[in-house]
Formats: sequence, C-alpha cells, structure tokens
Amino acid sequence: MTEAAPAGQAAPVGQAGAVAGQAPELDPDGAQAAIEFCFEQGWSDGLPLVPASQPLVEAFLATTGRDPQQVIGALEQVGRDCTVYLAAVNAAMAGCRPEYFPVVLAAFDALMRERAARGGGFQSTSGPAPLIIVNGPVRRELGFNTGGGSFGPGFRPNMTIPRAIGLIVRNAFGIHPHVLEQATQGVPGRWLICVAENEEESPWGPLAADAGVGDGVSAVSCTLTRTMEFIDNRHTPNPEDVLRDIADSVGRLGPQIFPQTPVALVLCPEHAQMFADAGMSKADVQDWLIGHSGRTAGELRRAGKGGVLHFPGPDDGSVPAQEFHRVLSEHRQIPVIVAGARTAAISMVARIFGEWSGQAVPVDEWR
Amino acid sequence: MPNAILDPTGATRRASKPAAARAARRPSLAGARVGLLINTKQNARPFLLEVGRLLHEEHGAASVTQRTKLNFAVPEPGEVVKEMAAAVDVIVTGVGDCGSCSAAAAADGVVFEAAGVPAAVIVTDSFRATATAMASLRGAPGYQYATTAHPVAVLTEEQVRERAAAVIGDVIALLTEPEPGE
Repeated sequence: MTEAAPAGQAAPVGQAGAVAGQAPELDPDGAQAAIEFCFEQGWSDGLPLVPASQPLVEAFLATTGRDPQQVIGALEQVGRDCTVYLAAVNAAMAGCRPEYFPVVLAAFDALMRERAARGGGFQSTSGPAPLIIVNGPVRRELGFNTGGGSFGPGFRPNMTIPRAIGLIVRNAFGIHPHVLEQATQGVPGRWLICVAENEEESPWGPLAADAGVGDGVSAVSCTLTRTMEFIDNRHTPNPEDVLRDIADSVGRLGPQIFPQTPVALVLCPEHAQMFADAGMSKADVQDWLIGHSGRTAGELRRAGKGGVLHFPGPDDGSVPAQEFHRVLSEHRQIPVIVAGARTAAISMVARIFGEWSGQAVPVDEWR
Repeated sequence: MPNAILDPTGATRRASKPAAARAARRPSLAGARVGLLINTKQNARPFLLEVGRLLHEEHGAASVTQRTKLNFAVPEPGEVVKEMAAAVDVIVTGVGDCGSCSAAAAADGVVFEAAGVPAAVIVTDSFRATATAMASLRGAPGYQYATTAHPVAVLTEEQVRERAAAVIGDVIALLTEPEPGE
C-alpha cells in the first residue's frame, strides 16, 4: 500500500504517473529517440516532429488520387520543388492526420497561386506567414475550430495544416532561417495561421464564394500576411463608428511602403451582423473602407514616406499636403472573412504581403 | 526491425547541380562595355550609376548601359540575360539589400558568368549568408561578390557616391582578376 501524495504535490515518478487507458505497448523512450533524430537532421521548425514512416505516409497518400511523384509546386529561383510524396512526409511530420492531407494539398496549391509566394516571399525580410482560410463542410468533417479563438491554439487541423506548409517550405524547398530565409523579425505564429470561417454566424456568403467557388463547397484560400492588428470596438451602436475605427487601422502609416496596402478584414460575428443589420453587404463594407482608409500626403511626408505618393519615383512635392491618399482601390484588395465567437466585438485587420490572387481551391480537386 | 524514418527533403531524388562555368577575365576594363543591371531597390540606381561613371571616367571603360530588373526578388529571365550578354563585356548588378533580392543578385551573377560575361554582384553585408547559399545552389560554391555596409536605402546622394567609390576597387578586382588556382 502506498501513501497518497500530499495535496499540491506531484505524484511520484513511476507507475503511479501512468495514464489510465494507455496501451501497454506504447514506447515513450523509442518515440523520444526518434524525435531527437529528426531534430538532429535539421528537419524541425523548432518543435518536435512526428517521425514519418512508410505505413503512415501511405495512409496519407491513400487519401488522394494523385501520383505521389507529381510535382505540386516549385521555387524556380532555388531550383527546388515539392511532390505529393514529399508533401505527405512533411504533413505527417507536422502532426496532421491522414484525412487532413487533401486540405494540406489544397492549401499548398492556393499558396503557390500567390505571386508573392512564388516570387521570393519565403526569403523576404518581412517574414510573411500564410493566412489559410477554410470554407465548407470539411470544417466540420475534420474538426476545425470555427468558433472562439479562431487564430489560436487548441485544435489539431487548424494548427498542423499550416505547420505542414511551413515544413514543406523548409524541407522540400530548402528555405532555412538565417540562410535563404532572411526575416528581420517575422510574423508571430508564422506557419500556424489557419482560420475556418464561421459560416454559421456570418450574415454573408463564405470567402470561397467570393472567389468563385460555389457556396457549400469545401475550399481553401490563402494569402501571405505580414501581421495582424485588432480593432476592439464594443460600445457603439453605430456601424459607421466601427467602420471609422477599422479604417483608421487599415490606413495607418506603418505598413505603407507601396501606393496600395491590401488587407484581409477578419470580422467577428458581432461586427459582421451589425453591418448586415444596417443593410450593408460585404461589398458595401469594402466600398466604405476603400473610400475612407488612408492618410494625407502631409502625414505620409512627416513619417518619411512621401515616396509612396509617386512610387517608384521620389516624392516631387506635387501632391498637396492635405490630399488624402487612399491605400485601397478595389474589392480584391480587402477580402472579408467572418471568424471567431459572438463573445465580444473584436475584429482583426491582417496585412497582406503583396496581393491576394482572389482564388479558392476546392478540396475535392486534391482528393 | 522497426520502420525507417522517412526523409522530408527529397535529397535522394535530386541530382547535384553541375558546376557553373566562370567567365574568362580580361586584364583590365580598358575599352570594356559595362552593363548595369539595376534591381530597383532604394538607392540602387544612383549607386550603380556612380559605379558605372567611375568605371568609364577613371578606369577606361568604353561605355556604360543600364537595364532595370523586371522583378528584384527573382533571377532575371533567360532572354534578358542573353540580350545583355550579347551587348556588354562585363556586368555590375545590385544592390542586394533584402532576402530575396540579394539571393537573386547572386543567382544573376552566376548565370552571367556561365554566359561568358564577368559579373560583379554587390550586396549589403547583412546578406552574405543568403548570397553565398544561393550561389552554391546555382552550382558556384565559393562565389565571390562585393559587399557594402547595410543599410543603403537611407543614404543621402553624397553618401551613395562615397559608398560607390569605396566598393569600386572590389568591383574591378571581381571583373578582372582570375580566381586563385585558375
């Protein structure tokens, strides 16, 4: 008979610490050694990897009709590419379940349709992160988080699918930090941002429908983002107040280096419903923000950013100081997504690196 | 026997890149047609134009022509390389001062060398690792290039001229001196 540990103290090391229901053949020591081996090979993003074996990777490959040797993306400038097989190995290592694999492939396809991703984005000093948006029934089928904490941890598909993309870039494309990857600071949560749109509480159609994929079809969209800024506005009943608040963040000086500064607007259900209740469509919200987001020429000059006014030429002073410089001009530069819980009126502006292609990839294309 | 742990890099299916040829050097720049490949980064144009002016006025280059890179972030397309290689005797390109553009500058340099045109690549000193890595990927391990202190984008016109003057000796050496062992 053993004595119970005093309250507040850990259980003693040994059998008393074993988890009820654990299969006796599980081998933590072997698993740890395999994980360390993966670190030693330089394959890891800094977190433990699931060591990939042939039977596991075959389970991934069984979820798609694609030839394992099919090349699904290339970075010409570094002479590297990725096959279905390599994507499967990296997805397995990232901790995906095999049934996630068509979504990984669709997300990678969507990412590689982005000009900025093909054209040096992974090497950039801005260290951009893929912002992956998932729509349709696959959200429920695979157990994506579609509610509160939409950018946060806690849900396996949301976390492991973007991590798989990061491992593909590291391992298949060979883009390593401090070598070909030259992020000055990078983006918090790089390779971990995958949002399943809260279609159930959105007053509008899903993002994939805006990209031309039918409503109700499982699809993945992707763009690169440089960071996110929240708009906490929960005390006004007036939608225009909220829009002014959002426009202030959309138009601020910090991100402006080119004449246009695209954003993804990730609205919480409460803000989205407030706009919809006021009779606004998604396009109305986009139009309002296009018309009101920016800074004056004088404000740009005071921040040393007058060059934005005449890019790529230098500021010749011809734009009057009081003239308003709009950072957006078309809907494609401000995709609108509804995500999160109906718990507070907090929305997010995600800075797009380059511009979104405006495309969504149906998951079925990769089954 | 447990299952093997699989390699996620695909190293086994890649053939190693054949060594890229390096162009023959000329003894000096006297009479040389210089081509500037400007990468559009802030101050790259005045920097390279000053390098070109010095090569022409003080080091005997016959002419200086300039071309702007189509996309600073990636290597220049093959047809541009072909056109420039046919029209000039040496190339100066840069200024690589970011992750993608420093790598692209090094890749451009290696490609011009293989096309028979000596190239001097200029990157800022923050991007040595990426320029070196890209040259290796392109089959030119140990590729030599010129550096100037980072940052360049914030320099005044006068400071840009000073930087160009400071790097001109390295540029000439890159374009005229054989590599050790050649």
